[in-house]
Amino acid sequence: MTDQQTYNYTVVRQFAIMTIVWGIVGMAVGVLIAAQLAWPVLNFDIPWLTFGRLRPLHTNAVIFAFGGSALFATSYYVVQHTCHVRLISDKLAAFTFWGWQLIIVAAAITLPLGITSSKEYAELEWPIDILITLVWVAYAVVFFGTIMKRKIPHIYVANWFYGAFIITVAVLHVFNSAAVPVSLFKSYSAYAGVQDAMVQWWYGHNAVGFFLTAGFLGMMYYFVPKQAQRPVYSYRLSVVHFWALIFTYIWAGPHHLHYTALPDWAQSLGMVMSLILLAPSWGGMINGIMTLSGAWEKLRTDPVLRLLIVSISFYGMSTFEGPMMAIKTVNALSHYTDWTIGHVHSGALGWVALISMGSMYYLIPRLFNRELHSLKLVEVHFWTATIGIVLYITAMWVAGIMQGLMWRATNADGTLTYSFVESVQAMHPYYIVRFLGGAFFLVGTLVMAWNIWKTIAGAKPAVGTIPAPAAAH
Amino acid sequence: MVLQHIWGLFINPKREWEAIRDDHCTIGKCYALHVLLLAAIPAISGFIGTTQFGWQIGVGDPIKLTVESASIIAVLYYLAMLVGVFSIGWMIHWMAGTYGAEPLLSQCVVLAAYTATPLFLIGIMELYPLLWLNMVIGIPALAYTVYLLYVGVPIMMGISEDRGFLFSSAVLGVGLVAFVALLAVTALLWGMGLEPRFTR
Repeated sequence: MTDQQTYNYTVVRQFAIMTIVWGIVGMAVGVLIAAQLAWPVLNFDIPWLTFGRLRPLHTNAVIFAFGGSALFATSYYVVQHTCHVRLISDKLAAFTFWGWQLIIVAAAITLPLGITSSKEYAELEWPIDILITLVWVAYAVVFFGTIMKRKIPHIYVANWFYGAFIITVAVLHVFNSAAVPVSLFKSYSAYAGVQDAMVQWWYGHNAVGFFLTAGFLGMMYYFVPKQAQRPVYSYRLSVVHFWALIFTYIWAGPHHLHYTALPDWAQSLGMVMSLILLAPSWGGMINGIMTLSGAWEKLRTDPVLRLLIVSISFYGMSTFEGPMMAIKTVNALSHYTDWTIGHVHSGALGWVALISMGSMYYLIPRLFNRELHSLKLVEVHFWTATIGIVLYITAMWVAGIMQGLMWRATNADGTLTYSFVESVQAMHPYYIVRFLGGAFFLVGTLVMAWNIWKTIAGAKPAVGTIPAPAAAH
Repeated sequence: MVLQHIWGLFINPKREWEAIRDDHCTIGKCYALHVLLLAAIPAISGFIGTTQFGWQIGVGDPIKLTVESASIIAVLYYLAMLVGVFSIGWMIHWMAGTYGAEPLLSQCVVLAAYTATPLFLIGIMELYPLLWLNMVIGIPALAYTVYLLYVGVPIMMGISEDRGFLFSSAVLGVGLVAFVALLAVTALLWGMGLEPRFTR
C-alpha cells in the first residue's frame, strides 16, 4: 500500500503518547507546588525548587506540553479522518513533533533557572519564542494544506475550531512576545506600561479562549459524537457557536485588569463582552450534552462517555463562573484571591484535562489496533479525577471568598480587622485540601497511564487505510 | 408528620425515597414540615456562633459580628436557603423532559428539599466556627448529599437508573452553578455597602 492510501498515524501516535507523559510531569509539579503552599518547607531552600520558578513550569507543562500535545494529536487525526486524505507532509509533521518537544525541554530547563520574560503563560525567552513561531507556522501549513487537498467537499465543524485555534494562537504569540533582546537570555517587551499589560491580557485571556477552549471544542465536536455513536445534536448550533465564540472571546481580556491604570471604558467593555460570552459558551455546552444525552443507555457501560459528559458539565460550570467573576463589583472581591485559582482549575482539570483524556481513551486503542486494556480502570480514573476536581475547586471557593472578605473587613473605627498574614494563616486547611484534590487527580492520571501502557505494550502500530468517500458526497 | 424521613434517609435511603415519593407532598406541606424547620438550623446556629463565640485566626481575641449585623445576615441566609431549594426544584422540573421524566413541580421541589437534608443538619456546627473542624464535618456531609441525589433522582422521577445518572449529573451541575451565583451575589451585596460589622 502506498503512503497516499493510508493516514499518517505516526505523528498522531507520538503526540498521543507524549500527552500522557507530559500530563504526568505537569500535574506532578502542580501537586508539589500545592504542597509547598501548605508546607513551605518543601522548597528545601533550593532556588530552582521554589514556588516562583516551579509555578511557570507547572503552567507551561500542563497547558503547552500536555494540552498542546493533545491538540496536535487530535487535530492531526481529525483533519485526516474528516478530509479523507493523508497529512500533506510527513516531514513537516515530524518537524512539528520534534520541534514542540524541544521547546518543552527548553522550557523545563530555563524556567527553573529563573530565565523568564515575566509575562504570565508567555514566560519563555525570545530564542524559544522564535522556535515556537517556526513550529507553529509549520503546524498551520500541515493543517490547512491538508484541508486544501481534502476529498470531502464539506469542512467539518471540528476543523473550524482547530483552524481558529491555530490562526489565533499564531497572532497572539507573535504580538505578545514581541520584545527587544539584550542578551541571549534576556529581553524587554516591545510595549510599555499599561499597553504592555493590555497586550499581555489580550494574549492571556485568548490563550484561554483559543488554546484551551476552541481547540478542545474541536475535540468535543469530533470525539463526543464518535464515542456516543450519534450525530451532533444540532449542526446549525455548532456553526452559530463557532462564530459567536470567536467573535466574543477576543474582547474579554480587559477583565484581568479591573481597577488598574487601564482606562475605565476598556474595563467596562471587557466586562460586557465577558458577560455576553456566556451565551455562545452555553450554546456549545448544550450541544455537547444533548449529543451525549441521546446515548444515555450507554453511559452505564461506557466510562469514557462519563468522562466526556463530566468534562462538558465542568465546561458549563466554569463558563458561567467566568462571566460572574468578570463583573467589576464581584472582581473587586475575587481578584488576587484563590477563587481565581479554583476557577482556572475547574476549567483546566474539569474541562481541558478530562476531554483530552476521554479523547485519548478513544484514540490510542485505534492507533494500536487494540481494545482498551480495562474499562474498570477507566472507571477508577473517572472517580478519582472527579473527586479530585471537586475537592480542589470547593477548597478554592471557600479559600477565595474568605480571603476576599478578610482583606476587606474593617472594624467600626475604620481599621482593618485582619492583617495580611492572618489571612495567609487562615488558608492552611484549604491548601491541604487543595493538595489532596490535586493528588487525587494525579493518581487518576497514573491509573490512566498504566491502563494505556497495558493496552499498547507489544502492540503493532495500526495502519489507517483511507476509505473511499461515500457516494452522497 | 413534622421532620419525618430524616432518619430513614441515613439508614436506608432507597426505601426512604420510595416512602417520600408515595407521600405525594405538596410544596406548601414540604416547606412547612421540612424546609422551614431544617433551614433554621444553620441560620440560627450561625447567628449564635458569630455573635457569641466568634472565630479565631492565629493569635489574638476571637472576632465576632455585632448582633445587628449578624441578624441581618442570618435572615438573608435563611431566605437564600428557602429560595435556593425552590429554584433548584424548579430547574429539575424544567430539565425533566430532556431525561424522559414527567414529574409535578411539587415532586421536584421535594427532591431538592430532601436531598439537601445532610447540609441543613450539619448547619449545627456553625454554632462554633472552627474552620478545620467545619471542613472535616462538611466534606463527608457534602459527599452524602451527592449520594442522596443519585439515589433519589431515579426513584422520585420514575426513570431508569441509566437516565437517572445523567439527570443527577445535570442537577449537580445546576447546583454548582447556583452556588457560584450565590458567591457572586454575596460579593455584589458586599460591594454595594451591605457589609458585615466586626467586633473583637
